[in-house]
This record gives sequence, C-alpha cells and structure tokens, in this order.
Amino acid sequence: MEINSQAALTLNQKIIDEANVIMLYLDPQGIISMCNKKIEELIDKKKKELFGKHWLDILCHDSNIAAKQQMFKAVLDNSITYKRANIFEGSIVDFNKKEHIISWNITPMLNETEGLAGILLLGNDVTLLKEREASLKKIDETLMNILSSIKEYALYVINLKGNITYYEMGFEAMFGWKKSEIIFKDVGLLHTKDDTENKLPFALEQVKENGHYQLKLSLVKKDGRVFPVILSVNQFLDSDGNLIGYIFIAKDITEEEKLEYQVFQSEKMAAVGSLAAGLAHEINNPLFVVSGRLEMLLGNKKLNKHLKDSLKIIDGQADRIRTLVDRFLSFTRKTSPNLKNLDVNKIIKNVLPLLLYHKLPSHKIRIARDFAKRLPLIKGDAHQLQEVFINMFINACQEMPKGGTLKIKTDIVENKFVRISINDTGRGIAPENLKNLFMPFFSTKSEGTGLGLSICYNIIKSHDGTIEVESQLGEGTTFIVKLPFAKKGA
Amino acid sequence: MAGKILVVDDEAPVREMINDLLKKENYQVCSVATGEEALESVNKEDFEAVLLDVKLTGMSGLETLKRIKEKRPDTIVIMITGFGYDEELVTKSNELGCSGYIGKNAAISQIISCFKEFIKAAKEKIK
Repeated sequence: MEINSQAALTLNQKIIDEANVIMLYLDPQGIISMCNKKIEELIDKKKKELFGKHWLDILCHDSNIAAKQQMFKAVLDNSITYKRANIFEGSIVDFNKKEHIISWNITPMLNETEGLAGILLLGNDVTLLKEREASLKKIDETLMNILSSIKEYALYVINLKGNITYYEMGFEAMFGWKKSEIIFKDVGLLHTKDDTENKLPFALEQVKENGHYQLKLSLVKKDGRVFPVILSVNQFLDSDGNLIGYIFIAKDITEEEKLEYQVFQSEKMAAVGSLAAGLAHEINNPLFVVSGRLEMLLGNKKLNKHLKDSLKIIDGQADRIRTLVDRFLSFTRKTSPNLKNLDVNKIIKNVLPLLLYHKLPSHKIRIARDFAKRLPLIKGDAHQLQEVFINMFINACQEMPKGGTLKIKTDIVENKFVRISINDTGRGIAPENLKNLFMPFFSTKSEGTGLGLSICYNIIKSHDGTIEVESQLGEGTTFIVKLPFAKKGA
Repeated sequence: MAGKILVVDDEAPVREMINDLLKKENYQVCSVATGEEALESVNKEDFEAVLLDVKLTGMSGLETLKRIKEKRPDTIVIMITGFGYDEELVTKSNELGCSGYIGKNAAISQIISCFKEFIKAAKEKIK
C-alpha cells in the first residue's frame, strides 16, 4: 500500500513536471513553494533555486514591478472574492534574453475557514499567439489603410432592413457624411427618391437571385448634389452562408461622363458643321442669283416707285438671309486662329467696355472681377477670343433682366490651363436644355440666331481648350472656359 | 470693250446671271457648265480671265484649275464659291495658281469690284 501510494506520488510529480504548462504554487505572500520542470526549460535556474523567492521578483520581467504587484494583488483579491480563476499577463526573459509573454491563470486555494492557503498559477507561453495576433492586426491595419486610400470608390454595407451598418474607402469624401451622422440610417439617404423606390429594390432582388448586380445610377451627397456612379451590389453572407445584408461599391463617374459628353458633343458638332457647310452652299447659289437679278433690276431707272419699293423690300430680306448664312458659315468656318501669346486678363479687360454698347440693363448689373495675378500666357487669337467673351458676357447679362451680378474669375487649374469662369445670378438653365446649349440654332431666348454659343464652342476647340456649363434653375449659370498655357519658347 | 471672260458654273441661273453682270461691265462672256468644257475652251482660244466655280459636277473646280494652269500657265483664273471664305480651299487654290477667290455670299457690287481688282493685280504680276 505504502509502495503504491509512493508510486502514485511519483507519477503525480511526473505528470506535473511533464505538463506543457508552467505550474507554480505560492504561499499567501506570493513566495514560491512548488513548481514544475517546465520553468527550467525557460529560465536558466533549477527548480530548487526558485523555492522561497517571491514569484514576481524572479518570474516577472517588468520595469515597473510595484505596479505589477498591485495589479497581481487586485486580480488575486477578485479571484478570492468571486471564487474563480482569473487571468494575469506577465513576461519572462529566457536564458537567451528573449522575452516570453505568459498568460497566468490564477486560482486561489482556500482552507476550511475560507482563508487563503495558497495560490496556484498555471502559465501558458502565448508569445507566438501574440506575435500572430500582432501580425494579423498589422495586416488588418494595412488593409484598412489600403481601403481608405481608395478615394474613387465608396464601399457601404446595409443590413436586411436597409440600414447602413458599415462603410469604408472614399465614402466620407464622396458623400460628405460623417460616421456618427450616417451609421444605422436608412440607405435611402444616399439614393434619389426615384431610385429608392424603383431601381434599388430591383437591384436587391437581382442580387438575391444571382449574387451580384451592377447598374448605373445617381447618388446623392449630403448637400443634396446628385452625381452619377457605377454601383456594384453583392450579397453579404454570415459564416453559415445566410444573407444578412448587401455590400455596395460605388464608383463616381462624373469625370468620365463629362469626357464622354465632350466626345459626343464634338462628334455632333462636326456632323452639324458639315451639314451646315453643305446647306449654306446650297442657299448661297440661288441667293447669289436673286441678289444679282435684284441689283440689275434696281439699276433700271425707268422702274416705277411702287415696284422699286417692293424690290427694295425683297432685297432687304435677301440680305437678311445672306447675313444668316454668313453667320452659319462662320460657325463651320475652317479658319485656323491667328495664334499669339496672350494675357487672358487683358483680353477680358478690353472686352468689358464693349458691354456698354449692347442694349443691356447694365446699370442693374454689377460686374465682379476676380482675376488671378501673374496668369501664365495662353496661345490664342485675340479677335476670336474677344468674340467668345463678349458673347458669353452678353448671354450672362441677358439672363439677368432684373439685374444681378456678373462674376468673372480667372485662375489656374491642373497646372496647365487658364480657367475663366463666367457666372451670372440669373434664371438658370433647365437640365434638359443644358445638353443642347452648344448646338447651332438652339436658343432659349426669343431674340438671336442661336449660333453664338456654337461659335464660341468651335473657337475654344480650335484653341485646344474646353468649354463647360454648370447651371441650377433659379440660381444662375456658370460657363467655364479652359485654355492651355502657351508652351515656353513657342 | 474689256476682254473676254470664260464663266464656268454648273448651275444655269448662276451662269446666266454672271453673264449679264459681266456684260453690263462691258466684258465679252463665254460660259460653260463643266470643267471638261472649260479645258476645251481654254485650249481653243485666249481669255482675259476664267471665273471658275469650286463645286462643279464631274471634274472639280480645283482639278480644272490645276489642268488649266498645266496647259496655259498664263491664264488668269479666279475661283468663285458658295462656301464663303474657307481657309483650306483658299490655300489649295493659291497653291494651284489661282489669282483670286470670291465668295458668292458677298454683295454683288463687291463681287464685281473684287473680280476687276484680281485681274488687274494678276496682269501686273505677269508683266
């Protein structure tokens, strides 16, 4: 029996020594009274050398040992009070001076009177785990950095109720919403009313069935501005594969649409141009005959007064047609600009006094100039550019029959263009009219031929520049002309 | 009496009108409808000038100009067109040796005075 119990003790000690965990038994003051062999593998000390030492002095590598002691006491007290094991984290430096992070499981051992008899500490080396955790955290942070640096795209996730639960990438920059303002709000805030009722439910149905759906629509910024996007919608699944929401990735395509529009506009203008040239030629030939014959008739001195007056009226009307055709031809003209290095500010300053010669309610219109100083020179034809600016200034003034402000601003954009912004505080242009604005014969005014802006468009294009318009009904219109810098030495 | 002018235009009313206008200015006028006929006429007789339309049926005005200048380099040719002022056309016509370029969209009096001026300048150049 004696032998058996001795054998059992030896076995117990063997099990304790071989356990893949550091085992310490401390007296109530924290002095080590027992430990297993595992500790010998870590530090360059034999088990016996540890007995009688305070465990924190030997087995805790920390610069602020007093704080560690306090923390240990608090953890221990909590364990005693609630009669449960607690976790305490410390570190041990091994004989290679390598630091190991140990997660200590602290179990208070109580005597019959519920007093503290000793403390059992089971330590797990979690260094590798911590390193992995840190590297995962780093990967996570890197991923987040990558995601948040992709500004052209916005990612947002909604739950099945349609509430926004998460967003990333260029979301804040694209929409202007802050996290606290938008999280858990209805996704309808980001979409137009019409899309929320029609396109969006249809898209979500498609995603439910096919897993993915892509569509082109408009989204809404916090300030109410609407912009075009390509929206990619995917299922958001939990680990069991159940649908718990939808992931949206939006790509702002405002610039692409602008470019597409410019190409379309340019092709359309070229087609209209060749049509106009042909038409003008066909009108000019018979008109030439009509005018010639009229002139010959009018030269006849025997003609009675009534007949002469009638012929003069016909001549006047023929002249009117000729002027119109001339104007039309100037729209299609293939005259290359007479290019010289020019200061845009100077051209505008020269043009402004001409406004007074036109029948404008100038006295009710304030002209606000905001000219950039030391504007780079552009290469252009002064006469043609003057024609553009006078045309645009008159247009702007005509938009403000009751008065307002004509704001003319020049600055530099993209480090290669001089930008001229001409803004009026007038009626604004309806969205359906905006796309036709540069088309010949398109006019929203009762007066004029509707050729002015199409001529401006052609002139700016022949200067390798661009002309764009932004308008809001009731708030006014801004024309933006961009002209490239003159090349140095050119 | 001023010299003889060859008018080349494929539209009869235009041809007739130019005939009448030039006759009023004391020119003798001969008119044809195509480039081919114009070449034939230029080969047969001398003209003070040829008033040649740019857009012709069949051989184009520019091609006719080129061939006239190849055969009779001293012939004064003035181009006339309903296209108005077109830099590309003007440059091409000048390269081929035309002595002037008139748009049908100008006033009649202006067309006649330009025509006379061009002939005068071309004659001085030949001298």
